[in-house]
Amino acid sequence: MGENGHSSWVFCWHVFQLSTYADLISCLPEVPTMAVEKVFVYNNTSIVQDEILAHRLGLIPIRADPRLFEYRNQGDEEGTEIDTLQFQLKIKCSRNPQAAKESSDPNELYFNHKVYSKHMTWVPLGNQTDLFPDADFRPVHDDILIALLRPGQEIDVLMHCVKGIGKDHAKFSPVATASYRLLPDITLLQPIEDEAAEMLQKCFSPGVIEIQNIKGKKVARVANARLDTFSREVFRHEGLKNLVRLARVRNHYIFSVESTGILPPDVLVSEAIKILMGKCQRFLNELDSVPME
Amino acid sequence: MIIPDVEFCGYCITHPSESKINFRIQTRGGLPAVEPFRKGLNDLMGVCQHVLNTFERSMKEYRAQREEEMQ
Repeated sequence: MGENGHSSWVFCWHVFQLSTYADLISCLPEVPTMAVEKVFVYNNTSIVQDEILAHRLGLIPIRADPRLFEYRNQGDEEGTEIDTLQFQLKIKCSRNPQAAKESSDPNELYFNHKVYSKHMTWVPLGNQTDLFPDADFRPVHDDILIALLRPGQEIDVLMHCVKGIGKDHAKFSPVATASYRLLPDITLLQPIEDEAAEMLQKCFSPGVIEIQNIKGKKVARVANARLDTFSREVFRHEGLKNLVRLARVRNHYIFSVESTGILPPDVLVSEAIKILMGKCQRFLNELDSVPME
Repeated sequence: MIIPDVEFCGYCITHPSESKINFRIQTRGGLPAVEPFRKGLNDLMGVCQHVLNTFERSMKEYRAQREEEMQ
């Protein structure tokens, strides 16, 4: 198990069958999330057109646990408190009367000329304040730039977020990049020493090959094959290409899952596995309900 | 899954624009074809459950280990 920051995880699995794990990766974007679906534009005098603004707002990841919400019924235009989250973005740019006369820095000249995702505020619908007393629904990142304004321009929109899956629109996908690879297996077929050892070390990613000092001679040793990115640089060198064997360990998969921040990656993986199980169950139910001759 | 009674098992996608597949299982020896299919689905569920359990257990251990390191 390894962690890089809060939203990205790399973990290792010893597994036996590839096909299931490819399915797992493909189920990850089917984990549902909440995202802006409808934008009610009351006023938009910025130079960003309404539809472009709406498109940008839809792509902003919203920190709201989708398991607390239901899917909206088809054809339901209004939305209820169990399937909709409402956000408001109301911002107006004005001139700063205290700015220096010769200044040309927009940060000094204007107030609110940059519209960030932190300006989106949650507007509770119905009894949502009672349902979610401690909730803090907002975009995952505060510093996503939505639009630029100049004095006199304003944006006044109301947004409805609904629950959806990545298959419908990529904005609903909770996962950024998810991939897997097999553990590399590097074997040195002969002892490699001195200059050859140093060249070997340079052929691989840092940390893969270690040079030890044994009885005064430098000897190369495979320290951590996992770090290698398989560039096969070693095969470009005449002297080294027959001394190394590059392969993959067949049963050992290294998964890397990067989340957009809505759900932590471990929750993402658990939910994806449950979705895969749900699919199997649906098939089994179908099999049982349809009479087969 | 390598089951000896299954002679053929495969799928193909009818057309990339349509979400449909043609799935074919052929068995020998009078075994109804639905059986290996059902077994396969059940086994897949079992595998998923096992993966889920192992993953959640490892996550707990990892988190516990990190907390110890922090303290």
